[in-house]
This record gives sequence, C-alpha cells and structure tokens, in this order.
Amino acid sequence: MDVLRAIEDSGIGIWVRESGSLWSYPTIVFLHAVGLTFVAGVNAAVDLRLLGFAPRLPLASMRGLFPVMWVGFWINALSGIALLIADATTMMVSWVFWVKIAAIVLAVVTLARIRYVLYLDPNAVAAPGGHDTVPPRLKMLAVASLFLWFAAVTAGRLTAYLGAGAVAKGGH
Amino acid sequence: MMAWVESFSHALQSTRLSWAVAGGYPWIWPMCETLHFIGMGLLVGIVGILDLRMLGVAREIVPGPLERLIPWAIGGFILNLVTGFLFFAGDPFQYIHNTVFWLKLLFIVLAGLNALAFYVTGIARRVDALRPGEPAPPSAKFIAATSLVLWIGVIYWGRMLPFLGGAF
Repeated sequence: MDVLRAIEDSGIGIWVRESGSLWSYPTIVFLHAVGLTFVAGVNAAVDLRLLGFAPRLPLASMRGLFPVMWVGFWINALSGIALLIADATTMMVSWVFWVKIAAIVLAVVTLARIRYVLYLDPNAVAAPGGHDTVPPRLKMLAVASLFLWFAAVTAGRLTAYLGAGAVAKGGH
Repeated sequence: MMAWVESFSHALQSTRLSWAVAGGYPWIWPMCETLHFIGMGLLVGIVGILDLRMLGVAREIVPGPLERLIPWAIGGFILNLVTGFLFFAGDPFQYIHNTVFWLKLLFIVLAGLNALAFYVTGIARRVDALRPGEPAPPSAKFIAATSLVLWIGVIYWGRMLPFLGGAF
C-alpha cells in the first residue's frame, strides 16, 4: 500500500487529480472516451461484419482498420495509466477495475486472433483471392469480442459505483 | 423559449420517472451511463469509419457495403437519446442553466444537419460508388472532417459537463 500511496502522491498523480486544470483530469477522461470509441467502437463494427451484417464488404478491405484500433488502444492505455496513477490506492484494490483489465486483455487477445485468422493464417480467410465467407470459429471470436468490449466498458463505468472506487467517490 | 424550458423542467422533475432516475432506483443512473458509452461507441465508431475512409484512411474499404452498418450507428444514437433524456429527467435544472449542455445539443444538431447534407446533396451517392483505393471527392472529405470534429466535439462537451458546468 505504501507503494500505491507513493504513486498516487507523485507529481503526475497530484497534477491529474488536484491541479484543477482543464488539461489534467477533464481532458484525460475526454481522451479516454475518444479512445474507447476508436478501439471498442471500430472493433464492434468489424465484429458485426464478421457476424454477417454488411456482407458485401470485402473482409480484406478491413485490414486498414487495425491501425485505427491500435491508435484508440494506445490513447486509452496512456490516458488510463495517468488516471490509474491519480487513483492508485483505490483502483488497484478495486475488484471491478480488475474485471475491466481482464476483459480488455481478453478482448485484445481476441482481436489479435481475429486478425490472424483473417490475414495471416496459411488458410487466411481474407487472403488475396480468398473466399470472403466467415467460418464458424471466426463468428465465435466476433461474439466473444463484442461481449468482452461490452464487459470492459461496463466494468470501467462501474468502477465509480462498485468496489473500492464507490467508497472513495460515493458514486458519480 | 427559456421560460418554456423552465416550466417543462419543473413538470418533468415532479414525475415519478425523475424520482426513479435521481436515485429512487440507484441502479438506473449507472446503467444509463454504461449504455450511453455503448451507444457512443457504436455511433461514433461506425460513423467514424466512414469518415476516415473518405479522408483516406483504410482506403481499401468500399463505402457502399459499409453503409449497411449505419442502422447500428442509428441504434446507438437512439440508445443515447433515450438514456440522455433519462439523465435530463433525473435532474433537469443541473443542465438547463449549463452552457456546456446547450453546446452539446448544438453540436448534435449540427452533426445531424451535416449528415443530412451528405445524403441530400448527392455526395453520398458518389461516395457509395467509390472503388477500393479510390479517393473521395473534396466535398466528401469536407463533410467527413466536419462530421469527425462535430462528433468528437459532442463527446468533449458531454465529458466536460461536470467540469465546466457543474453537472454530473
């Protein structure tokens, strides 16, 4: 706990939490929402395509969306770390925060798996001249991906209401 | 106009719905917040892909088939309209005297008008006909950039409600 306390009371931690600057906590949570949109929102669109919506959209053409999702992911990894530093003693002992982290890790692993099956596998579904039909295992991955991002967003929002964060902030 | 908003807010605040959202059922507010984020991801994620494609990102995407996902974006918008109205019903007076709230609504209306312009000017038809890798016309790029700025602006004002205006 002493380590967490030291992290929370570091210069960055105090600036994010207590400076009152519009550029600290408010801008960081704004960036966290934008990053969510470009990682989870864009990933949901890819999942929906795999599940049969927008069926005439070539699977190979979605390759360019992966860098967009990575940008969203890194915006949120960095803004998330800043928010975590500012609230280390509460978040690190909040069970709902760890549910969120677990969901994100699994969602990213699932996305990597989707990318592999689509583009890198020797039998890649979206290889040049590929057949563009989605095999059942890829649909399963898409369902898992939608569920995991939903879980990550839900758990993230609930860090203020459940677990240690609820006691610290009293909701909202 | 403001007098009407005031009396509407008074009437709304006296409803059982307002009581329920404001804490009568404590799970309603967190649930609506979560759904508001899900709706945001669907709406701005899907519209954002179309905008980025027009601006030259992921250029292999053919916009025509992609637009079959637009109903999901509209679904996200409706979800946010409903949950947003519930927040408002829960505590109307923390919003109606808050400039940031009105800026958020203004940006939503402008984003809607921008989307309308995309379809009624025939730009959407030209974009639908784009082949893989083919650049969008400048008019489409202008609409796409405006759309991204406005929707990210909506997220910005929404997130700033507690900080610039004292609403939560």
